[in-house]
Order: sequence, then C-alpha cells, then structure tokens
Amino acid sequence: MKDESCVPSCLHQMLWDENSDLVDRCLHHPFVRGLGDGTLSQDSFRRYIAQDAFFLNSFAKAYSLALAKTESTDHAKAFHGFIGGVLDELKLHAAYAESFSIDLSNVQPYAETLAYTEFLQSRAWHGELSEILAAMVPCMTLYRHLGTSLMSKLRDDHPYRDWITSYSGDEFAELCQGLECLLDEVASNTPSVRQAYRYAMQCEFDFFTAPLETASLN
Amino acid sequence: MNTKTIHTESASLETIENGSFVRSAGRLWQEGTRAKFLDAIRDGTLPTEAFERWLVQDYLFAKGLTTFQAIAAGKAPRSAQKVLIDGLVAMEAELQWFEKLASEHSLDLKTPHHPICQRYVDYLIASAYTKPPAIHLAILFGVEAAYLSGWSRLEASGPYEEYIRRWSNDLFSQYVAELHQACVDHPLKGQQDEFNTVLCHERDFWTMTYEG
Repeated sequence: MKDESCVPSCLHQMLWDENSDLVDRCLHHPFVRGLGDGTLSQDSFRRYIAQDAFFLNSFAKAYSLALAKTESTDHAKAFHGFIGGVLDELKLHAAYAESFSIDLSNVQPYAETLAYTEFLQSRAWHGELSEILAAMVPCMTLYRHLGTSLMSKLRDDHPYRDWITSYSGDEFAELCQGLECLLDEVASNTPSVRQAYRYAMQCEFDFFTAPLETASLN
Repeated sequence: MNTKTIHTESASLETIENGSFVRSAGRLWQEGTRAKFLDAIRDGTLPTEAFERWLVQDYLFAKGLTTFQAIAAGKAPRSAQKVLIDGLVAMEAELQWFEKLASEHSLDLKTPHHPICQRYVDYLIASAYTKPPAIHLAILFGVEAAYLSGWSRLEASGPYEEYIRRWSNDLFSQYVAELHQACVDHPLKGQQDEFNTVLCHERDFWTMTYEG
C-alpha cells in the first residue's frame, strides 16, 4: 500500500518500496491467504495468536526502551501512544483467547518467534533510536497493508473478521503513520537502518510460517 | 607446544566433556561441536568459498561476542569478573587477528551478517541485557567450550594449522576451564537450558559456514 500522505522520497516509503518483494511474499503466504479467505484452520490461528501475544509483549518493551532513548518530549509522547496501541492489541488477543480457547498464560515461543523478539530486544537495548524504529516499522506497516488488502474478502460469517477489521481500521492506520513519521524524522538512509528494516520484514514472513500445520515447529 | 601443555589441554577438555553441562546436553554436544566444515579442514577439502564465509561471519560473531562479554563483565559479581575481563582482553587480540587475515585475503568485513549469524548475535546481546550474570557465564562457557572441543579434534598441521592452534592451545583450554569453574561457583537454575541453546546456535552456525 502506498502512503499518499508522504512524498516518494520519504525514508519509510523508500524502505517499503525496497522491500516490496518480501511484502508480496507475506501477502501471498499460505497463512495470510487462509486468514483472508477464512480457510485457515482454527488450530493454526490459535498457535499464531499465542505466539503473537508473546511477541507483542516484547514489542511493547522495545517501545519502552526506545522511549527512554528519546531526547524530546514530543517523541516520548509519541512512544507513549504507541505503547497504548500495543496494549490495545493485547486486549484484542485476550478476547481471541477467550473465544478460541487459547491459553496465553504460558506460551512457549517458537524458534521463529524468538528470532524476532531477540532481534527486537537486541536493537532496543543496544541500538540507536533510528535502528530501533527501523526494526519496528515493518510489523506495523505490513499489518496495515495486510488488513487493508484482505478487506475485500470480508463477509458476514468470516471467522477472522475482527483481525481484518482491526488492522484495516483508522486507529491502527494512525499509529502506523505516526511511527513512519518518527522514522523519517529520526533516521537516515544508512546500511544499519536498511538491514534492520529488511531483517524485521523477513522475520514477519517466518512468523507466519511457524504456526502452520506443515511447518516444522522447533 | 610441548608434551606437558598438550597433556594439560587434553586434561581440561576431558574434564569439561565429563562435566555435567556436557553430559546433560546429550546429543546437542555432538551437534554443536562436530561439523562438516571442520571435517573438510581435516580432510584438506575445504572450499575457499566456505573458508571465506566462515572468516567474515566468525569475525562478525566475535564482534557481537565482545559486546556480550563487555556487558557481562560489567554486570558480573566481583568474584566472576576476572575471567570475564581476561576474556575481553583476549577478544581484542582476536578481532585484530581476524582483521589482519581478512586484509590478507582481501575480504570485506563490512559484509552484512548472515541471518544465522544475526540470530546468534541477537541472542547474545539480548541475553547480555536481560539475563542474570550466572546465565552469562553459562552462555560464554558454552560458546568457548564448543569451539575448544570442535577445533581440538583436529591435528594442528597443514594450511589451517594457525587456526587450529588458536582454539586448541593450552591457554585457551585453561580459559575455558576457568569459565567452567565460574559456572560451578555461581550456580543458577536455567544455566543448562542456555548452554543447550548455545549449542543449537553453534550447530546452525557451523552448517551455515559450510553450506551457505
């Protein structure tokens, strides 16, 4: 999806365009296709939600560490808002846990989940603000893209309606745009920023593979 | 290397391999310390491409390990600091050695991390910040013990003699034995799990160096 509010030379847009191959692979991933047409098995969805809840806790920590590295109150306020966004997502996961009978109390992370969370924690604790943002933007923008792309497949009895509507909604889009703007403001087009962005996008792809029945889990 | 030092080296490795960490790791110990890459060095069949990939990625790994050790040394209790600080000093020499070799082989050390190397380094750095000092000791012991064991199986001769000696000599062996002792002196639940995790990373790293 192209963000019309930004000129083509925006860093976030450049990074998005540079990684369009991985974005397309995610959109056509069997997990995402199944999520879109409703054929994804409930077991795969349960596994995914459990792993995603584990991931989101790490994502919230990464935002918190990034907040501690900001030097302006405006940036700190922005991160405060992003953390609120993750906490809202976790509420949604708690609701899924109830309706799909998922135990979120003791999630054992898959290798793919750990690869992603340790990457985030490594950047968040040790990296500069620009690298942390580059590692976090792909998750947000990819989900906005997937949510928006899958909207056309919604029907009244769609089993994953809530997932699609929440990631295609205005609230989520606003969070994404805020994060993208912060990236543009703070980061430059450096190798470490490009590498962090691409690696995170690859982690997203692997994250969708792990919960499938056919995947080799750990 | 004289007979006495060879004896010391084997004794240390033997003690480590008979210790509870290695025994409890089971098959993971073999998987993390035996590799096609090392077999190819022994057989004289190592492709140049694999050697060059190993050299660059192992340098990038060593840089990450240095970061890990620096943080671990700072967070460690005084009783565990000496072995960590000694190790950190040795890492500077190792990084310089890699840089010299890369220059001789015209290799670019600014190459991006291979995803497998990236995963290992992320694990180390995330662990350095988020896990307790006793766990750091188990992680570092796992990293160094695996290298000592892997390289010590090779006879120090041939075109890779310098490499084999670097990770099988008596000083390195003594260092690994001291790390083992530090783990014993600072026991903590979870050390074995981290030791095992390191062996999984070692296994994947070795596979990457040989197969790409």
